[in-house]
Amino acid sequence: MATVTVQSLTYTYPKQAHPVLDHLSGTFPTGKFSLLTGVSGGGKSTLLKLIAGLIPMSATPITFDGHPLSAITPTQRASTVAMLFQEPSTQFTMDTVENELRFALENQQVPAEEIADRCDAALDFIGISNLKFRKLMFLSGGEQQKVALAIIVAMDSDVILLDEPFASIDPPTRLILLEKLVALCNDRGKTIILADHDLSGYQQWVDHLAVLADGQLTLLSTAATRERFAAFTPQRLQLTHVQLPNDQLTVCLQGTQLGLAHGDRQLLTPQDLSLYAHRTTLITGPNGSGKSTLFKALVRLGRYQGQLTYRQTDITKIRKRRYARQVGLMFQAASAQFLNVTVAEELALSQKYGDHAYFTPTRIQQLLQQLNLAGRDEQVLYSLSSGQQKKIQLLCMLIMAPDVLLLDEPLKGLDYASIQAVMTILKTVQQDLNLTLILISHQLSGLDDLVDLHLTLADRHLTYQGVSA
Amino acid sequence: MKRWHIRDIILVTIIAIFMGVIFWALGPVYTILAAALAPMGLQPLANELLLGIWVMAGPLAGFVIRIPGAATLGELLGAVVEMFLGGIWGASTLISGTLQGFGSELGFIFTGYKRYGWFTLFLSSLTTAIVTFVWDLFRNGYAAYHLPFLLLLFCVRLLSIFIFGGVLTKLINNLLVRAHVLKD
Amino acid sequence: MNPSLKLALLVLIALEVSFIQVWSINVALIVVSLILMLLGRITWRRLLWLTLVPLFFSSALVWSLMLRSSASTHFLIVIFTRLFVYVYMGGWFTLTTPPLWLTHSLEQNAKLPSKFAYGFLAAFNLMPKIQAEVATVRAAALMRGEVLHVWSPRLYFKVILAAMNWSDQLAAAMTSHGFVEGAPRTHAQTVPLVARDWWLFVGSLLLVQVGLFVGLP
Repeated sequence: MATVTVQSLTYTYPKQAHPVLDHLSGTFPTGKFSLLTGVSGGGKSTLLKLIAGLIPMSATPITFDGHPLSAITPTQRASTVAMLFQEPSTQFTMDTVENELRFALENQQVPAEEIADRCDAALDFIGISNLKFRKLMFLSGGEQQKVALAIIVAMDSDVILLDEPFASIDPPTRLILLEKLVALCNDRGKTIILADHDLSGYQQWVDHLAVLADGQLTLLSTAATRERFAAFTPQRLQLTHVQLPNDQLTVCLQGTQLGLAHGDRQLLTPQDLSLYAHRTTLITGPNGSGKSTLFKALVRLGRYQGQLTYRQTDITKIRKRRYARQVGLMFQAASAQFLNVTVAEELALSQKYGDHAYFTPTRIQQLLQQLNLAGRDEQVLYSLSSGQQKKIQLLCMLIMAPDVLLLDEPLKGLDYASIQAVMTILKTVQQDLNLTLILISHQLSGLDDLVDLHLTLADRHLTYQGVSA
Repeated sequence: MKRWHIRDIILVTIIAIFMGVIFWALGPVYTILAAALAPMGLQPLANELLLGIWVMAGPLAGFVIRIPGAATLGELLGAVVEMFLGGIWGASTLISGTLQGFGSELGFIFTGYKRYGWFTLFLSSLTTAIVTFVWDLFRNGYAAYHLPFLLLLFCVRLLSIFIFGGVLTKLINNLLVRAHVLKD
Repeated sequence: MNPSLKLALLVLIALEVSFIQVWSINVALIVVSLILMLLGRITWRRLLWLTLVPLFFSSALVWSLMLRSSASTHFLIVIFTRLFVYVYMGGWFTLTTPPLWLTHSLEQNAKLPSKFAYGFLAAFNLMPKIQAEVATVRAAALMRGEVLHVWSPRLYFKVILAAMNWSDQLAAAMTSHGFVEGAPRTHAQTVPLVARDWWLFVGSLLLVQVGLFVGLP
């Protein structure tokens, strides 16, 4: 059991002028579930990493029941504080679930004869005893997060930190994980700090809301937390002129008995699927349901069952080089798109091969202005904020102007003004060049003007929504 | 002097695996090349031509992770990975890997792990070519070849190592420096 | 046999075989490795693979030596059989030694620092991610009109950037799971190292030396 106290913590990223955390103070009480919220890029991850001791600091203003982390012997630190990370797949050392649990307990110098029992107890607590001998790499993101929590349970860590743990996790798994976390709080007195930028679906679980803004932390009381949750309304999808596909539409991509799987888990039961040209289609569905997997299949980066055709030709029969220019993907991670070092180089590459008749240098400058990106030509792409990266990435793919452009979460991490700008640009370019846009988005507000067709992925099936024309 | 930390060890292993993936993708090219050259008794030339890519993990690791032993470890781990993935050459890969890595390492040793420019790369390519060639004189019986052919083999090897372990490595390094993830 | 000692034996013999020119020793080693592989229930496909690949390389090398050197027939036989020694001994080793068991043994018996053992294992598990990353970078380039080849610096640049991210994430995760460089650890499974392992090791090495002496031309 431990209360985490932060006393006037200031932290500046290397090579940056302004601190991201500025004389931040706050207390996370023992046995309570605190939700840490704030805009993305606001320093939530950094704060958690500092508490976990993963970023070394000379004099640490963070204490656990009055003891600084440096006063605790290194091997016992993990039983004081442990962290569950956003990216499920890069938090394991060993090959199987059992071996990873053993590894963690060996690190804590648990006597060999106790290890097996503690592993089993932890797996049993999370309810994943059936996964014990499975290879970690073949588990789904949700299963991997369950294993990561089981390891923290086995290590019996007093303070449990979770950094956006549900970013790619399906809702049922999220619910199970939340129930287990609450049980750890109430029954075992664990201190839990969970960072998430999205507040929806937490009110019944969380004791305290901690708001991180402008480098400062504000801890709300239980009553204030309740008020805040009551005032928070989740975004609603409002699509007023979405219609069911009709005969006048041209099919551009056609799946015949198209199925998708991740390992041995079926994501999409084989079905026929048509995607239509010169329209904007929105695909929605729960996290982890297979939307990104569908996009990867469409650009030939992932396996699929059945057949996929593009304008009546099997996509595996079209030359890779040609097909990549017809059907493009704006990746969910902006860095996956970039090939160069600076903003100017990246734009120049798109201009070289893209639609230079439409995207004249003047227009590009105009678009950069619109996106509030002017004058950043010589900046290194990888040092831009995630929102700026996202906007540059979008611009690069639009300039390429492929017949079909798949957009995987194009609005992720953007502020309100940027979302408005991006929406206007998407709408204009789509109409001017008669492009086919297919997008996945969790950001739902403001989509109404853009979207013509709406596909939902639920219960392993894709269905068009809307009224018939 | 910098010491090895867990992050560096993971990174050097990933680079080794990555080079393994690249080399594995080249498998068909190598097979075709070797099969085409074999009838003329030129099969060793196929080895020499592609050796540069095979030994690239060494100088690349040496440049990215600027710690003494990085080049040797990068190449040795490449061999270990290959062995675990069902590569067939077994223990002899481990020996060759260590020697190739050490060959690259010599270039960095001679410049005291202080200079990371063209000179070091050229030196490193030269030492790699010499060390590995001496090993092949014994292992593959190269010592028996007539001198002109032997010279041809050596020159092709040096060239291949210089292009991949030298020029390409330097170009990659330049990109990483410009992206501010490595120091100049 | 203890995996670390087995590996040491393998490397020592391979090193010795590389320098000596006694074909009877090579043949003896091939036969012993073959028997050991058969006892280890090797699949026929794997054995066929382990035979055909060195057959091609050995033949091509010997053919090249015949054309471009004045080596004796004895020397050619030595070179021809040598490659089979490497491959068969390696085949026996990988068949009978699970990688994880070898790593545990290197950590416990050979006193390899645990940071090397677990750093290696952590990265090794990323294998599928690394393959996927290479494919993604190449696809991203194709969508922008560029083809990346094995000689394109940008392919390596992008993968190394990703590798740097992963190694940061993995190192943080290992710390979070209680791993501390140089700190003592317990072991859920101990790899035995008993007198019998040493006898086998020394005995096998001696046997090779005796064979060498007898087999000298």
